[in-house]
Amino acid sequence: MTDSARATPADSILVRVRGLTTVLGGKTIFDQLALDIPRGRITAIMGPSGTGKTTLLKHITGQMRPDAGEILVNGQNVPDMSREALYKMREGIGYLFQNSALLTDFDVFENVAFPLRQHTALPEVLIRSLVLMKLQAVGLRGAARLMPHELSGGMARRVALARAIVFDPQLILYDEPFVGLDPVALNQVLKLIRTLNQTLGITSVLVAHELAAVQQIAEHVFLIANGKVVAQGDPKSIAADGSPWTRQFFGGEADGPVPFQYPAGDYASELGFAGAAK
Amino acid sequence: MNQRAPQGHNVVTQSLAQIGGCGLFLLTLLAAIPRSLRYFRETLRQLWFVGAMSLTIIMVCGLFIGMVLMLQLYHVLSIFGGTSASGLVVALAVYRELGPVVTALLFAGRAGTSITAEIGLMRATDQIDAMEMMAVDPIAYVATPRFLAGLIAMPLLACVFCAMAIFGGHLVGVTWLGIDNGTFWSNMTAVVDVHTDIVNGVLLKSLAFGAVVTLIAVYQGFTTPPTSEGVAYATTRTVVASSIAILALDFVLTAFLM
Repeated sequence: MTDSARATPADSILVRVRGLTTVLGGKTIFDQLALDIPRGRITAIMGPSGTGKTTLLKHITGQMRPDAGEILVNGQNVPDMSREALYKMREGIGYLFQNSALLTDFDVFENVAFPLRQHTALPEVLIRSLVLMKLQAVGLRGAARLMPHELSGGMARRVALARAIVFDPQLILYDEPFVGLDPVALNQVLKLIRTLNQTLGITSVLVAHELAAVQQIAEHVFLIANGKVVAQGDPKSIAADGSPWTRQFFGGEADGPVPFQYPAGDYASELGFAGAAK
Repeated sequence: MNQRAPQGHNVVTQSLAQIGGCGLFLLTLLAAIPRSLRYFRETLRQLWFVGAMSLTIIMVCGLFIGMVLMLQLYHVLSIFGGTSASGLVVALAVYRELGPVVTALLFAGRAGTSITAEIGLMRATDQIDAMEMMAVDPIAYVATPRFLAGLIAMPLLACVFCAMAIFGGHLVGVTWLGIDNGTFWSNMTAVVDVHTDIVNGVLLKSLAFGAVVTLIAVYQGFTTPPTSEGVAYATTRTVVASSIAILALDFVLTAFLM
């Protein structure tokens, strides 16, 4: 258990992860991982590529079961949930996919209306009002009748965000929300995340690599590497932390605890020089 | 939805694993039918895509198969002076074998491939995962409506195919080759048995073929690796597996139903 996890009151924790162990294809992704995500705040999860950040989000939403450990969302252990309970929980969670994952057969309006149509029997007038409100919030009310293939990457991300908040969820998970965005679109998404958190009090969990962007909005950062939380704290202090992990990750150093080379056999013997060396 | 195609060490074990996976997927599909009833409009939409949109190819192929069958039979039967039976033989061949089998093969090529490619691309672009995250069951919303649509569409398409084939046979036999119109129809109505030839031959077989083709198509779509190559292979597998399954099942059903 981390120090901050022990110090935080239980009711202010929305997601509590304890002893999380995941092995995928023989590779240990998480090794007794423990972290707490506080309610109503913006938490960033950072780490080298392939360290399991998206996998952690999938564990929180129940899309993937861990090999061991607890993931408590609102006090309920996700791996133990029935399918019905899982779906009920997901109605209170918004998830922003890396590639937006808009339904390509539907236009922008119908994409945002989709969860409402599936889970409510609201009259069409009310659905229309709700969808237009959400689209207005992300600045895309005028694009309501565009098809997903007509949107730019940034616009698609904002439509996906409108869809993710259509039920006013208590938790939003953002998977790499800034990837591939130009500076204007990136700032728009940043502003939206901050506004949603401040105005609706939504708990936000952000998986991202962009330290500058994270520093602008996140209140707490977890740095994950080697299956564990190797550093955590507020964005400024964690970047200034002198540990080898933070120095390499935030300093962008090519060499350090995160190896440049993917694990491989002996280089010389693979090139056929093993005999010559002898 | 994180289904993956079962992996095996060689072609035999891979094929067996695929059949086993397909069987388990069928159980999942059947269990999801009650939940998918609320997506009735989606089933209707799929019925339009796999049924109505396949009508043109089914009608054109049915017409030409009836025409060429009559042409061949007329020339063979004329050797024995039995041209008056041409219409009857065309009808029996179409009802008992060609109608359901060719319709199913065309259906696999036209609708089966589009189902696999559509679901495969939905997986590759995270749309299936997005549905899961919106608490919408993709089996009930995506798979079952397509399965039910295939089940409903296939017998109807087979009936249309048979009607067009008979029409094609009539066009060539009566209008072109001069077979007596009364003989053409009376021989047919005298010998064709509604239960054996229409219910068992057309409806029952095409229902079974519809179930098999859409099951394979949906299963391949859901288990395809989310890559462009994976979708391409899955689409090909749908056609190959469906064609083999249709012909093998046709033999089994014919042996039991005759």
